Amino acid sequence: MFAVHAATPEKFNTSRGIAVTTKYFIFFFAIVTSLFLQPDAVFAHHSTAEYDMTALTTVKGTVTQFEWSNPHAYIYIEVKNDNGKTAKWTAELASLGMLARVNWKRDSVKPGDEISIVGNRARNGTNQMRLNKIVFADGQELSAEVR
Amino acid sequence: MLRKGLRHLVVAGAALFFALPSTFAQSASPSAAAPDLTGVWMIDHFQPALFPKGTTPPFTPWAEAQFKKADTKVNDPNLACLPHGIPRLMFVPLPMEIMQVPDKVLMYQEAGNQLRQIHMNREHPKDLDPTYNGDSVGKWEGATLVVDTIGFNGLTWLDHVGLPHTESLHVVERIRRVDRNTLRDDFTIEDAKAYTKSWTASQTYTLKPGWEIAEYVCDNNKYVYHEK
Repeated sequence: MFAVHAATPEKFNTSRGIAVTTKYFIFFFAIVTSLFLQPDAVFAHHSTAEYDMTALTTVKGTVTQFEWSNPHAYIYIEVKNDNGKTAKWTAELASLGMLARVNWKRDSVKPGDEISIVGNRARNGTNQMRLNKIVFADGQELSAEVR
Repeated sequence: MLRKGLRHLVVAGAALFFALPSTFAQSASPSAAAPDLTGVWMIDHFQPALFPKGTTPPFTPWAEAQFKKADTKVNDPNLACLPHGIPRLMFVPLPMEIMQVPDKVLMYQEAGNQLRQIHMNREHPKDLDPTYNGDSVGKWEGATLVVDTIGFNGLTWLDHVGLPHTESLHVVERIRRVDRNTLRDDFTIEDAKAYTKSWTASQTYTLKPGWEIAEYVCDNNKYVYHEK
């Protein structure tokens, strides 16, 4: 994809030759940089201030999606309330490298899995949490604490 | 006949000299004189705020106004997957690998797979083009790596809660291996336009034998919409 031209020594003997090299370099860098300038992609290593770290909330439901990406993986579940209505919950996990170190994989949970998500709920009361662990239907647990 | 034997001896001796690994060992690994900081390192505790609750940074009026506007969910530069800058990159809760080659100390951060170069063979160039991570030059003082960084573009936060800075930022680090499994980085932060006096911070890291730096591509574009 990136055309890197192997220059012969003669090309660099003139100031014009060096300018040409600089142009290739800038072009290469522009391509690489533009791949990173997607405005919606996020990085934030934020503190836990937005979550209630004093208590754990448990929610049981069905996985609709497991998003395996950086900077955070996410589990989305659907919960059926007693009155038959459904609610959506989002659990935020750590980055993929850290999750892999505590035995998570891209298929650790799958759409359709019945699980409980246990974690620190968002202070603003929305259906979001910072995941502490999941509990599968058979009682097996998988911790999401990475440090 | 003796002269011929002597010539053979000289040739054989030269061949043996060049065959010995020790002759060229210094070009393949950090020289015997340079301390060894290499390895995969992970912070031993996370410090999102370099001035914890109850402490006040020596803000200038400009910096105090900037800090009040900082909102990790709205205007954190990281929200656009932009670099963390220095020193924030050294405080992230992700590992880094330190590698040493003859003219550089390299810090490969898992966070965004950013590579930090500390140039050991030169001073700062004149007329630095301001960048996110600045220009870092290093020197050994005994077993301590002293790193001097200038040339910042002012577009990053100094920590995870919003400490501001300007292009005048100057960061000095003293990095040393306390023991085989412990690395410590002591920071001095100076920025006359943002802080009325210089201040210090520190991070300790633990060696993680067997850890490899994972790929980290910032490809999640839905974070800001998760409030729904």
